[in-house]
Amino acid sequence: MVNLSINGTSHSVDVPSDAPLLWVIREHLQMTGTKFGCGMGLCGACTVHLDGAAVRSCQTPVSQAVGKRITTIEGLDPEGRHPVQLAWIAEQVPQCGYCQSGQIMQAASLLAKNPHPTDQQIVDGMSGNLCRCATYIRIKRAIKRAAQEV
Amino acid sequence: MTSEVSRRDFLKASAAGAGFVLTFRIAGGATSAAEAAGAWEPNTVFTIDPSGIITVHITKAEMGQGVGTALAQIVAEELEADWRDIRIDYPTSDPKYGLMLTGGSWSVNWTFDALSRAGAGARHLLIEAAAKHMNEPASECIAEGNRVRHLPSGKFLTYGDIVSKGLITATLSDEELKKIQLKKPAEYKVIGKWIQRLDVPEKTNGRAKFGIDRFLPGMVYAKVIYPPTRTGSKVVSVDDSEARKVKGYISTVREGDIVAVVAENYLAAVAAQGKMRVTWDKGPHANVTTDSITQDYWNKAKNDTSAPSWVDVGDADGALAKSMKTHEAAFWTDYVGHAPLEPMNCVARYQDGTFDFFSGSQFQTRAMGDLSKLFGVKPEQIRVHQQYLGGGFGRRLEPDVMLEAGLIAKAVGKPVKLIRSREDDIARDFYRSCTLQVLKGGIDSSGAVIAWKNTLVCAYPGERYGGLDKQGRDQFSLNGSDHYYDIPNQFVRAIRAETGMEVGYVRAVAPNYTFFAVETFVDELAHLAGVDPLEFRLRMLGGAPRLQNALRLVADRAGWDRRSSLPKNVGLGIAGVTAQEKSSPTWTATVIQARVDPGTGAVRVEKIWCAVDAGLVVNPDGVRNQMQGSLLFGLSNALKERATVKGGQIAQTNFHEYQLLRMNEIPDDVEVYVVQSTEYPTGVGEPGVTTVLPALSNAIFAASGARVRTSPFLPDRVLKALQEQKA
Repeated sequence: MVNLSINGTSHSVDVPSDAPLLWVIREHLQMTGTKFGCGMGLCGACTVHLDGAAVRSCQTPVSQAVGKRITTIEGLDPEGRHPVQLAWIAEQVPQCGYCQSGQIMQAASLLAKNPHPTDQQIVDGMSGNLCRCATYIRIKRAIKRAAQEV
Repeated sequence: MTSEVSRRDFLKASAAGAGFVLTFRIAGGATSAAEAAGAWEPNTVFTIDPSGIITVHITKAEMGQGVGTALAQIVAEELEADWRDIRIDYPTSDPKYGLMLTGGSWSVNWTFDALSRAGAGARHLLIEAAAKHMNEPASECIAEGNRVRHLPSGKFLTYGDIVSKGLITATLSDEELKKIQLKKPAEYKVIGKWIQRLDVPEKTNGRAKFGIDRFLPGMVYAKVIYPPTRTGSKVVSVDDSEARKVKGYISTVREGDIVAVVAENYLAAVAAQGKMRVTWDKGPHANVTTDSITQDYWNKAKNDTSAPSWVDVGDADGALAKSMKTHEAAFWTDYVGHAPLEPMNCVARYQDGTFDFFSGSQFQTRAMGDLSKLFGVKPEQIRVHQQYLGGGFGRRLEPDVMLEAGLIAKAVGKPVKLIRSREDDIARDFYRSCTLQVLKGGIDSSGAVIAWKNTLVCAYPGERYGGLDKQGRDQFSLNGSDHYYDIPNQFVRAIRAETGMEVGYVRAVAPNYTFFAVETFVDELAHLAGVDPLEFRLRMLGGAPRLQNALRLVADRAGWDRRSSLPKNVGLGIAGVTAQEKSSPTWTATVIQARVDPGTGAVRVEKIWCAVDAGLVVNPDGVRNQMQGSLLFGLSNALKERATVKGGQIAQTNFHEYQLLRMNEIPDDVEVYVVQSTEYPTGVGEPGVTTVLPALSNAIFAASGARVRTSPFLPDRVLKALQEQKA
């Protein structure tokens, strides 16, 4: 049994200690906001926070998450009104939406570390997250909008 | 797999209004659950419940276009609905919805008139019913904001009142519906407004449900062991002795050449998949490579003179012989994948003779037709429960993953969730065919193009989509090569390649490669004639004034006149297209500013400008978002995406090898100019994509003097073109 603290709630799951955190969150606990994209840490769709820092949950063995605060998109803000989420709505960022949980988690972590990033810092911070619909222009714009409000 | 959808279905559907059963039904018949609960469901388009909430049933797939919001706007406009009372849902497949197909940038184009009439017809019946109840003449009543109001007295009934009292007893015939006077664009209150998309909030908080997010009680997990070649492999033997030892293993399923393992949870299924030992006969395509395909294409282009023409006007050969100057060039495009970020997946259940599929689908009608045939059940025993699509781009037109999940679910007698890994997804994608186009052109002494020849070689997905035409051609693989330029003598030969690599329709389909060749070659002819490439195009587009207008607009906005004052190694390129279909063109013109590094061949796109005339715009921000996204999707195709073939299979495995555009590679800005128009609407999901290859190849030429005619424009290809230009 592995004990995890996700969005402030503790969960016990019967999985091997090397199970990727992604699949435990998604398929065992059925919290599906966190997405599977590549399984190799190449796309960022599975991004969650461990103690506030963005990690790729597909590359994180569940053992590494034990004793840490795990935050998923569902727990970023109880009402879904984190400044980054509000900026995403204001700028009408999502198209298909599949990558956006990961984009938002990545952006929220970026802004938490650096509340006023330059354009280059946004690009550097976000280039690990793929968007096949290519909403990148609006993602950039939304991060700048959120930066003014954080 | 041959499709149940015929060519005629496609042709019929392309007439506006197809895909809907609009006949108004008599109320009170309680033919649906909604009506049994006291709602009014005048037709298959929407339902008004007793509280006045209007739910528009979106039978198009939501894969990022915001289609639900746009279609609901059309209904709300004529219905005089209060937008705050509008909801949307995505119903489960049913023959009553007609052709359920999302693609081709057709959604608004095919439904605008039908949805307008559905709304207008219902408004008419609501007014009549309310007027009768209020004992006032209908001519003195109007509908607005979900109410019918009697103008002289101010009395009113809300739509909720009218429905809850069951006041509507009349219905409308198809004839009456056709005669209904629709609003004029100047009267629109909802269409053309900047309305936020209804699906955006739940796509920011993790609540949006995609196919991969579905669970059913008692569900188990499956993994398929895919063959070593894209097509033609046969199972020789299956050894599951090691897989059986995996904790959570349930069973092995073998149905023909489909081999799968089933386990209690996802991770166990992955582990068991890794332990399966399947021996394959690799079949006839085991030695197919990119090189062998290239060789085959060139042989066909040179030697196949029996293939049918796609365009045959005047006498192209005669005109070439008489031309003052002639030019020839060959264009190649590599395989391009759909690569939706949500890998293909499906939850399937087989119960009481019926298959339920929970999966995002762009083509439920085909799934119902193909799968019912394969499973030996009636089409209505195939139910596709629509989900959000984590990217479609044409990939989710194919029911392959439903077939696998259905077979496995039936075999194990339990609901099954099948999720493909990224590696499996890339291996089993239906790629856009690689293509070869050999063009010849001739100009006369005035600089006018008098001869045009194109030999187009590519593979056809058409047999899965209503079949090929009588001459064996696939219109969707050839569109765009029949461009709008006034050239008196033209001949386009369409040669079909068959390589063993399954191909499909990828966003913007043929116009991606046809306009790459057409719009680059026109640019080359302009230089041959010594005429400005914009002016050269405008002269030949007398039959397409809206494209002329888009070209002029984008050239103006991009500062076409500053070309001579650009820094070294920087150039502007232009292209104009009539994608997506010649019968419903969206007039789109793009200018790209690119910088070429002459030392490395690396291309940096600095800025994109695009002018688009898609007729009447339903949701302006939706159009802008689609245009920005489609242009960058095109840039991803143009700069990065290259699938190659080795041993009859795609050689790339994940995103480190099949690379997509990332944020550090986008231009500083993508400016979109939407032409104001009251023409009948076309579509915007795809046309932008098709402008990028040619505008960029022309920009690379302007920046460096090198003609890159092989896509994608990888640095080594640009470098090679630079060296050829110097030689």
